[in-house]
Amino acid sequence: MNSANKVMTMKEAISKYVHDGDCLAFGGFVTNKKPYAAVREIIRQGRKDLYIEGGPAGGDVDMLIGAGCVKVYLNSYIANSGFTQVCRRFRKAVEEGTILWEDYSLDVQPIMYHAAALGLPYVPVKNMLGSSMIEKWGISAEIREKHPKLASRKLIVTNNPFNPDEQVCLLPTPKIDTAIIHVQRACFDGTCRIDGNVFVDIDIAMGATNCIITCEELVSDEELRKEPWLNQLPNLVPDAVVHVPFGAHPSQCTNYYDYDGAFFVMYDNASRTDEAFKEYLDEWVYGLEDNDAYINKLGAARLSNLHVKPGFGYVPGLKRR
Amino acid sequence: MAQWTTKEMMAVALARQINDGMTCIIGTGLPLTGASLAKNTTAPNALLIFESGMIDGNPLELPTSVSDLRIARNASALWPQYRYFGFQGNSRKKNKIDLGFLGGAQIDPYGNLNSTSIGDYMHPKSRFTGSGGANGIATNVNTVIIMQHQKRRFCEKVDYVTSVGWGDGPDGRKKLGLPEVGPQVVVTELGIMRFDEATRRIYLAEYFPGISIEQIMENTGFEMDTSRAVEAEPPSDEILAVLKRLM
Repeated sequence: MNSANKVMTMKEAISKYVHDGDCLAFGGFVTNKKPYAAVREIIRQGRKDLYIEGGPAGGDVDMLIGAGCVKVYLNSYIANSGFTQVCRRFRKAVEEGTILWEDYSLDVQPIMYHAAALGLPYVPVKNMLGSSMIEKWGISAEIREKHPKLASRKLIVTNNPFNPDEQVCLLPTPKIDTAIIHVQRACFDGTCRIDGNVFVDIDIAMGATNCIITCEELVSDEELRKEPWLNQLPNLVPDAVVHVPFGAHPSQCTNYYDYDGAFFVMYDNASRTDEAFKEYLDEWVYGLEDNDAYINKLGAARLSNLHVKPGFGYVPGLKRR
Repeated sequence: MAQWTTKEMMAVALARQINDGMTCIIGTGLPLTGASLAKNTTAPNALLIFESGMIDGNPLELPTSVSDLRIARNASALWPQYRYFGFQGNSRKKNKIDLGFLGGAQIDPYGNLNSTSIGDYMHPKSRFTGSGGANGIATNVNTVIIMQHQKRRFCEKVDYVTSVGWGDGPDGRKKLGLPEVGPQVVVTELGIMRFDEATRRIYLAEYFPGISIEQIMENTGFEMDTSRAVEAEPPSDEILAVLKRLM
């Protein structure tokens, strides 16, 4: 089973592993290695009532919220930093109360995902003590009862059983149905090689029930098995492998491309109003059949200008505004 | 006499908080400008770490986010986020991290910060990003806070405590179960504030050249001791030249 060929199209992967009402988590960090091609397909397939574990979120989660796919969002940070300081579709949804949300910190959420990866039932931390994140709950225990995808409580503050003078904050392990991460190289069986930061990618991949890998390059297994100690995920974890060059555009991808500053600026403007956002979705998501259509629309010149320069790892002097 | 902008004065003031050899957790924006300035002038051995897990990064260009590939250049290691979490939590054992830099939309007299929302939490007038790494930094390390100096931002009580400062005073952190680290300095476009060793309440330490104490108090929404305030040293021509090259 695990040496099986897991390569499929994005359409197949999303219809197989992302259902209405599922809890999803995305890899990457804010403007780095976000699985945007998968996000666009989820929107195209019209998934709704999703629960989203945000972690270091950016335009990926903002697009899903704006497209009406999200019922519950578990937040610790959401911005296209340097381009949009607070994601605008998220901001509108919270200010108008059209989604349920909860706030954790961006130290605690990765540890909750790590707990999920390790199969722990919950995790104790010292973080958040004394802050409003302890007593202000976006989703009450009462409402949580109606949401089996959510833990029965946001958190519990109690004494450390080994040192009763010490207070600790217990955090529930999230129940993630499907994690989606974008990697540089993968082979047919799901073995993955990630360049650069892994952020929370491995933790959500291991912690979720299902895992979709999207990759820049689909390579031979011999290529990745020559130096297996450099691989971050074994074939045992992923369920689907989808080949999508530039699949993290407009975010960055180590050793491949820098972010597309002009695109982020356009997104910033498009996310300001309902009308502009609808036009953006029509033009860049609904109007394009798949990732090939998306990169063709962007064009070869635009994409080749984003290729990172050896020795730097980014594009020196890139126009960012 | 050298001429400088408000932003440049703030960057210089931030750079002055970093001594050579210090390890600092840096966010993007002005803190990174200040830290880059320190590294290129008075603190060449300062070491910068980022909540994305990028450790001892050496950016040549100003990054837009803490995960920007520009930070990964010449870094010592790129850690998964759970390692950053562990390193931060363990740092007090051997004082591995000297300072963290934070910002917020509101601050109270004890340095408690709000970067979550304005108004009622469930029906906010303005919603922001949320904590990001700020709460962890405020929990575990001494901090430098960057604020815009306005009456509505310097307020008696913040609408939401995203990052705990000194709590409600001298024993504030102890009561909350937090380690005895906390805010050291607040840098604004008008001057520099510190916290009294005994009361943990904010006081005016320095006003920038051309700024009066009255002007600062007009923009502060709570009582603040100004008896210890002195005029800040203006930036030198040399440091301004380096700063202009960096920005």
